[in-house]
Amino acid sequence: MRTITMQCKAELLRVFRNPYYVFWSLLMPVMFYFIFTRVVDTGADNVGAWQAHYLMSMTTFSVMGSAIMTLGIRLVQERTQGWSTFMRITPLPGSVYFFGKMFGQTMMHLFSVVFIFIAGYLINGVSLPWHLWIYSGLWIVAASLPFLALGTLVGLMKRVDTASGVSNALYLALAVTGGMWMPIESLPKVMQAIGKWLPSYQFGGGAWAIVQGKVPSWRNVLILLGYLFLFMVLSTYIRKKQEAV
Amino acid sequence: MEPLIEMSGVSKIFKDKKAVDHLSFDISKGTITAILGPNGAGKTTAVSMLLGLLEPTAGTVKLFGRDPKDRTVREKTGAMLQEVSVMDRLKVREILELVRSYYPNPMELAELVRLTGLGAADLNRYAEKLSGGQKRSLSFALALAGNPELVFFDEPTVGLDITARRRFWDSVRQLAGQGKTIVFTTHYLQEADDIADRILLFNRGNLVADGTPEAIKSRIIKRSVSFLVEGDGPELRSRLLALSPVSECYSKDGRIHVTTEDTDAALAALFTAGLPVHDIRIEQGRLDEAFEQLTANHEEEAV
Repeated sequence: MRTITMQCKAELLRVFRNPYYVFWSLLMPVMFYFIFTRVVDTGADNVGAWQAHYLMSMTTFSVMGSAIMTLGIRLVQERTQGWSTFMRITPLPGSVYFFGKMFGQTMMHLFSVVFIFIAGYLINGVSLPWHLWIYSGLWIVAASLPFLALGTLVGLMKRVDTASGVSNALYLALAVTGGMWMPIESLPKVMQAIGKWLPSYQFGGGAWAIVQGKVPSWRNVLILLGYLFLFMVLSTYIRKKQEAV
Repeated sequence: MEPLIEMSGVSKIFKDKKAVDHLSFDISKGTITAILGPNGAGKTTAVSMLLGLLEPTAGTVKLFGRDPKDRTVREKTGAMLQEVSVMDRLKVREILELVRSYYPNPMELAELVRLTGLGAADLNRYAEKLSGGQKRSLSFALALAGNPELVFFDEPTVGLDITARRRFWDSVRQLAGQGKTIVFTTHYLQEADDIADRILLFNRGNLVADGTPEAIKSRIIKRSVSFLVEGDGPELRSRLLALSPVSECYSKDGRIHVTTEDTDAALAALFTAGLPVHDIRIEQGRLDEAFEQLTANHEEEAV
């Protein structure tokens, strides 16, 4: 038990000491939020609804980024620096190590959610019934799982440069086509058709539904579970293949 | 004494290259063993298999009578690997405390600091900010964090200056004094000779010699007797070679050298035969030269 606590504490410290996290996952989304709700006139009919909707877009955007990039790049770093090899010769079970990582990530996601929600409140006075704040926050933390799985997939890459390039491209592409930067309706028809099958759209979709007072649809849940399964199978398969050499 | 490490018939083949070929040896408790060999001899591959990081292609590896990957084995084993491993964004103290928490009977932090030469100030620094030498000290501390009974060091002194090197070996001797079993790899014969009580000499994935440093040295160092002589010629040479302790005869720098296993016997034979020799000297081949020669010979054989 003490080992698990120590492991979680160490992972947590590392997350919050990471300046990239503070910039990419906290400041960037808040900046975007400010620009698209205060500076640019988006011509939305219901300003309050748009402000709540876009707050969810930016929070999911932030959490998706930390899940894919922070986790993925860190995993590659630990392997290339020999840290993963060292961990294998300690008696620490791999499962505890993995659990510690996931705990650190989840805490980081929770912190991002709270930080960006507060920013939304301060910038636009976004107001929601308290249970909707909680539901949407919990949805974002829970539904980030498929992206963590995608992060472990990125984490299998050989070099940090490749991992950071690929994860960046993947992250931005998913954000744009999933309607996180601007509503999916403003994209060309073909892009919309593709976008609706992407995990980013389903991730945002659940949160958008919650702030409208609805519940996430089965479609949101099932597609996300599908991606979770796919990414986990892929990363297990690739890892097995790499170890076989 | 019961063996702590048992390797029997172990081979490791990477894609097309045989890194380790049918290796068998036992290492008993409380000994210091050096795995000595040139680069590419298969030292690191052997250590990786001993640590359960690599699966042998054939043969079995046992530590404490069990699989190296067994948790109880891991709790009693520590290792300093070649790659410097640091976890970023954690302070040295935090990393040490973390890794100590993995083991049932960790070594006291003060003792780790004392043995590895990390300064008190270093404990509060971020691991990634340490200098190369300090990172090695941290690696050393990580290897000892669990107060292991068996410690592996893979090329521990590469990149260390003389002071750090001496300090490191002093600590290793202290650990051995506490009854810990130590296995290290090196490509310096001198280091193996100074520290180890047994040398496993590796070349091209094979164990080519196994014994005490003395035994290994006497095997690989050729002693010779050199002298000046009146009337050198084929006749004298054949008379020299006829002496039973003499194995070879050659001239170098104007002196005649005869190589022998036993210089005393060679001298006696020279005098008894009444050969016209004077200004006799006993020469000892240089260790490093002999070592190079030995491993180079094997290379030629393999070609």
